[in-house]
Amino acid sequence: MADPAASQQLFDLWKRQLEEGAQAWTRLLGQQAPQAPPLDPAAFWRPVLNEGLETWARLFAQTPASPELLSQWKQFLDQWIEAWSRALGQAMGTEQFAKLINQQLDAMLAAQAPGRTMFDQQVEQMLQTFNLPSRAQLTGVAKQIVELEDRIERLEDKLGAVLRRLEAREPR
Amino acid sequence: MGQERFADVVERFTSGYASAAASAAEAPPETVRQWREELERNLGRLRNLHALLTSPEPRTGQTPREEIYRKNKSRLYRYASARTHRTPLLFVPNLGISRPYIFDLLPNGSFIEYMTRQGFDFYLLDWGVFGPEDNDLTVEHCVTRILPRVAREVLRSSGAPELSVLGYCMGAPVSASFVASHPEVPVRNFIDMAGPIDFTKVGLFGLWLAKDHFNVDRFVDTLGAIPADLVRAGFKLIKPTMDLSAGLGLWWNSWNDKYVEGFQALSKWANEYVAFPGEFFRQWVRDFYQENKLYRGELVMGGRRVDLQRITCPVFVVGAREDYIAPPECVRALVDAVGSRDREYVELPGGHISLIAGRGAAVHCWPKVSGWLASRS
Repeated sequence: MADPAASQQLFDLWKRQLEEGAQAWTRLLGQQAPQAPPLDPAAFWRPVLNEGLETWARLFAQTPASPELLSQWKQFLDQWIEAWSRALGQAMGTEQFAKLINQQLDAMLAAQAPGRTMFDQQVEQMLQTFNLPSRAQLTGVAKQIVELEDRIERLEDKLGAVLRRLEAREPR
Repeated sequence: MGQERFADVVERFTSGYASAAASAAEAPPETVRQWREELERNLGRLRNLHALLTSPEPRTGQTPREEIYRKNKSRLYRYASARTHRTPLLFVPNLGISRPYIFDLLPNGSFIEYMTRQGFDFYLLDWGVFGPEDNDLTVEHCVTRILPRVAREVLRSSGAPELSVLGYCMGAPVSASFVASHPEVPVRNFIDMAGPIDFTKVGLFGLWLAKDHFNVDRFVDTLGAIPADLVRAGFKLIKPTMDLSAGLGLWWNSWNDKYVEGFQALSKWANEYVAFPGEFFRQWVRDFYQENKLYRGELVMGGRRVDLQRITCPVFVVGAREDYIAPPECVRALVDAVGSRDREYVELPGGHISLIAGRGAAVHCWPKVSGWLASRS
């Protein structure tokens, strides 16, 4: 926790920065429009700003605010999440939860299965009407290719074994 | 004029403050420094969060590699290395669930890059992303058809007489089944990283997938394959607060450019779930989760009984202390199940992913694995 003296130094720093910033803005505005009177784009919200700055000044002077507060807040959130994680872990690690979640999955499957079958049949019929291959037919072709690849590989293996045996027999 | 008005505001501001804290002493420089740091961090947070929303996804998997074998969706990659160790290393990750570029996420934060820099001739088996045409693929097919071929390709490509096998996550029980049932394949070393072996100790997934509650046949018969969204739902459910703590972590660390880059890459990977082929899922759940056949020595693949006692090469088992997918006790079981004389188990800090990916892994895990393997390769 910081004492009010820390905040004093901070506000001195801010004051200096604000003043330097204000001077820089004035110079900039002066360069862009030397003939026109200097603009004050913040005029309409200045009363609100003044009020807010004063409130903050009072608050900082009266409370021991420091960046450590943020660390403490982060630690608190971490612990809070960890506590929830443990509690949920315990709840999910029970037979009742396992039963419940699987009942939900079963219900989902039971609800999905008829709709899925009907959808697949309709899509298939539609594709047939347009003389297009269905998903099942394409999957079948892909499976055949995978199978062919596997067979070729087995043949390669056998051929390799035969060649190795022949090479071993050949006199040098 | 504008300057005077602004100065007035500042004056009133500081006067108001000074009246309330007139007796205050000088602020300690430490507090001022802390405030300055905090302001800087907040600016950094704004900048990086904006970049996170607008910049393209980071490039992952940048370590140079060459495809040396492909079978259907699966690919075998060889990574360039100085090759100071004679025995090549075959890395077998999980099939389905996620993509393997997590092991080569970003330069200077990649397990693969680290191992190649240590001089290992590194081979990665990428199982691939399966479609409906692959629904008949089984664990048995992977163990008896794909892995023996891949091992042969590694030996052919490296010209070495033996190879080491490293299985991660599901890749560990699958490759352990392969090593145990294929004594003719010259495996010099076997490493299990976060791979469950005794499925009676596998935690929440073990409970949810138990035979009493979960009807795997009904599931596969209805859906055909296990869609990526369902895989995502399962993994989100096992740690429901994960996204919240990740979001909080991002906000807190978003001032740090490196953290944000890592988060972006990790987030890309973590949201890219991969479906399970139906028959693979059926056999995986029934034989491993529900009946624990591998650990009980009842698994038969390609007509051969898978007996873990037949693994006699040096075995290194790595468990992660905070792993809730493969808790350390179910991983550790391999050490007592194998027939090797040279066997070792280590339990390292981290979770299922952070064991092998990230800054912690670079400190705790990678040097351990590399050190163990180097003296045996």
